[in-house]
Amino acid sequence: MKINTKDLLSGIILILFAVIGYWLNQDHALGTARRMGPGYMPMLTFVILVGIGGIVFLLALFSGPNPLENWTRGEILAVPAAIIAFFATYFIVAGLNIFQGNYYVLGSAIFVACLVLAIPPGWRALGLVHAGFSLFGLLLEQGGLMLALVGCIVVSSVADPDHRPKGVLGMIIFLCVLCWWVFIKELDIRVNVWPQFL
Amino acid sequence: MELLINNLGHGFAVALTVNNILFCLLGCLIGTAIGVLPGIGPVATISLLLPITFGQPATTAIIMLAGIYYGAQYGGSTTAILLNLPGEVSSVVTTLEGYKMARNGRAGAALTIAALGSFFAGTCATILVAASGPLLTSVALSFGPADYFSLMLLGLIISAVLAQGSVLKSIGMVVLGVALGLVGTDVQTGQQRFTFGVPELSDGVGFVSLAMGMFGIAEIILNLERPEQRSVLAAKVGSLFLTKEEFRRAVPSVLRGTLVGSMLGILPGGGAALSSFASYMMERKMSRGRHEFGNGAIEGVAGPESANNAASQTSFIPLLTLGIPANAVMALMVGALIIQGIQPGPRMVEAQPDLFWGLIASMWIGNLMLLVINLPMIGMWVKLLQVPYKYLYPSILVFCAIGVYSISNNVFDVYQTVLFGFVGYIFSKLKMEPAPLLIGFVLGPMMEEHLRRAMLLSRGDVMVFVERPISASMLAIGAVAMIAMMLPSLRKGKDKALAE
Repeated sequence: MKINTKDLLSGIILILFAVIGYWLNQDHALGTARRMGPGYMPMLTFVILVGIGGIVFLLALFSGPNPLENWTRGEILAVPAAIIAFFATYFIVAGLNIFQGNYYVLGSAIFVACLVLAIPPGWRALGLVHAGFSLFGLLLEQGGLMLALVGCIVVSSVADPDHRPKGVLGMIIFLCVLCWWVFIKELDIRVNVWPQFL
Repeated sequence: MELLINNLGHGFAVALTVNNILFCLLGCLIGTAIGVLPGIGPVATISLLLPITFGQPATTAIIMLAGIYYGAQYGGSTTAILLNLPGEVSSVVTTLEGYKMARNGRAGAALTIAALGSFFAGTCATILVAASGPLLTSVALSFGPADYFSLMLLGLIISAVLAQGSVLKSIGMVVLGVALGLVGTDVQTGQQRFTFGVPELSDGVGFVSLAMGMFGIAEIILNLERPEQRSVLAAKVGSLFLTKEEFRRAVPSVLRGTLVGSMLGILPGGGAALSSFASYMMERKMSRGRHEFGNGAIEGVAGPESANNAASQTSFIPLLTLGIPANAVMALMVGALIIQGIQPGPRMVEAQPDLFWGLIASMWIGNLMLLVINLPMIGMWVKLLQVPYKYLYPSILVFCAIGVYSISNNVFDVYQTVLFGFVGYIFSKLKMEPAPLLIGFVLGPMMEEHLRRAMLLSRGDVMVFVERPISASMLAIGAVAMIAMMLPSLRKGKDKALAE
C-alpha cells in the first residue's frame, strides 16, 4: 500500500477533533430543526467534519507515498518529555500555591514544556520561539513590560544560532525604546512598565 | 452617475482629513515594507496591527489596514524583480520574467511598469468598487436568511476549492474553522458552549490570537528552520524610463491583467495570489511577446503586477456589500469591523457612508502615494532588505506579544496564541491550509444565525433552501464548483497554475 502519511495524520486530526467535539456536545440541547437548540449546529458541524476526516483518511491509504520528515531519536523523545514536563510543572506550581490567578500555573507549565521541547536541535526554533512568547506572558504583569521584553527577546534569540550577545543587547535596547514609545507613550496601553516588587 | 460623483466627493472629504491621510500613508509604508521583506505577509501584519487600531475610529482603522494589503502588492514586486525573491506569494510569478529583465539591465523598466500597471489597475478597481457597491447592496437587501446561508456556504466552498493543495483537506479546514467558531456563548439561549469553564472563552476563541498564532508565530518558526535565502542584487536599477517599444508591448498586458484581476478578486477564495498566476498564464499564451517568455518579457511583469493589485482592491467588494470575506485578509477586516462595533453586511453602505466611501477614496489616494513611495524611493527599500532575519523575528514576536495582550489586557490571550502557534506549525507540516480555516471561523457564527432564522421562518422545512431562487442558484453554483474540482483534468490545471 502506498500510504500518504501526511494526509493520514490530517484525517486522524479531523476525526479526533470531531469525535471529541461531538462527545462534549452531548451536554447541549439539540432542539428541533424548526427551533434549533444550542447543540444543533455543533452536531451538524461535527458530523460533517467526521465525514470529511474519514474520506481524507481513506484516500490517504492509496494516494502516497508522502512520508513525514525523518525524526531523530532526540526529537521523538522530546515530544513525550515535553508533555510530561507540562503536567508535572502544572501540578507542582498549582500545589505550591505561591501565585494566585492570572493563569500563572498554565503559563509556567507551557514555558517549561517549550524549553524541554527545545532540547533536540530540530525542535529548537519551535520550542524557543514559543517559550519566549509564554515567558512574556509570565513576566508581564508582575515584572512589567521592560522585563517581559528582555525575557522574550533573550529566549527567542537563542533559536537562531547566528545571534551574538552584542547584537542581542543592541536589539534589546532598540526594541525596549521602540515599544515604550509606541505602546506606552503613543497608544497608552494599560500595563506596568517596571517591575512591581521593586 | 451624479449620485456616484456626489458620494465619491463625500468619500474624498472623509479620506482627505489629516488623520486619515496620515494613517493611509502609514498603512502604505508598512505594506510596502512587509511586501519587500520576504517571510512576513499581509495576514500576519494585519493581525499584528489590529490591536493598535482599536483606539482609532473605524474608518481610520480600516483605511490603514487596507493600505497594508494593497501596499504589500506594490512592495512584493520590488524584491521579485531585483533579487529573484518573491516578497509575497502574489509576486512569485513576477520573479520569472522580472528577474530576467533585471539581468538584462532593464530592472528600472520592470519596476516602472510594475508600479504604473499597479496604479492603473488600482484606479480601475477603485472605480469598480465604487460603482458596484451600491448596486450589489440593493440586490443584497432583498436577501432572506436562507439566501444568506446559501451565499455563505457558496463562499466557503469556493474559498476551499481555490485554496492551494487538496480540495478535500481545505474543505475539512473550513469545517474545522466553523467548529472553532462555535466556542463561546450561544447567542440565542445564552448557554456556554465548549468553554471548559474558562471565562475568557465565553466570548469565543480569540480571533487575533488565532490569526497571529497560525499566520504570525508559525511563519516565524518555519522561516527559522529554512536556511536563509540571500541572492545578490542582479544589477543596478538603471533607467526608470520605458522605451517606446516596451510601453507599446506592456499596455495590452496591463489592460488584460486589470480585467482578470478585477474579476478574480471578487470571487471568494480569490485575491491577489490567484489572479497574478492567472494573468501570467494568460500572458504566456496570448501576448504578442509570448515567444520571448523566459528571456525577460515585459508582458510577464506588466500583466501579473496589474492583476494582483486590481484583485487586492476588488476583493473588498464582497466584504463591503455582502459582509462576506473573500480571503484571509478580508476575514481579518471582518474581525476588525466587529471589534469596532460594526456588523459587516449590505446595510453598511447606508449606515456607514463615511466608512464605505472614505475607504474607496482612500484606496485611490493610497495608490497615488504608493507610486511615489515605490518609484523614486526604491533605493531605500532595497536597503531594508539588508536587515537580517535574525533581528527581524524577535521584533515581530514582541509586537505580537504586546498586541495580543492589549486586546483585553489578559495574559490568557498570550497563552492562547502559543497554542495556535503550535497548531499552525503542525498544520503547515501536514499541508493543511490555515487560510480556509480563518474564513470558516469568521463565517461560522453568522451562518449559524442565518440557518436558525431560515429554519424558524420555514417551520423546519429544509426545502426552503431550494425553493428560493437566489438560494437555489447559489447552491447550484457551489455544487458545480465542487464537482468540477473533483475532475482530474481540471484539478491538474489548478495544481499546475498554483505550483509554478
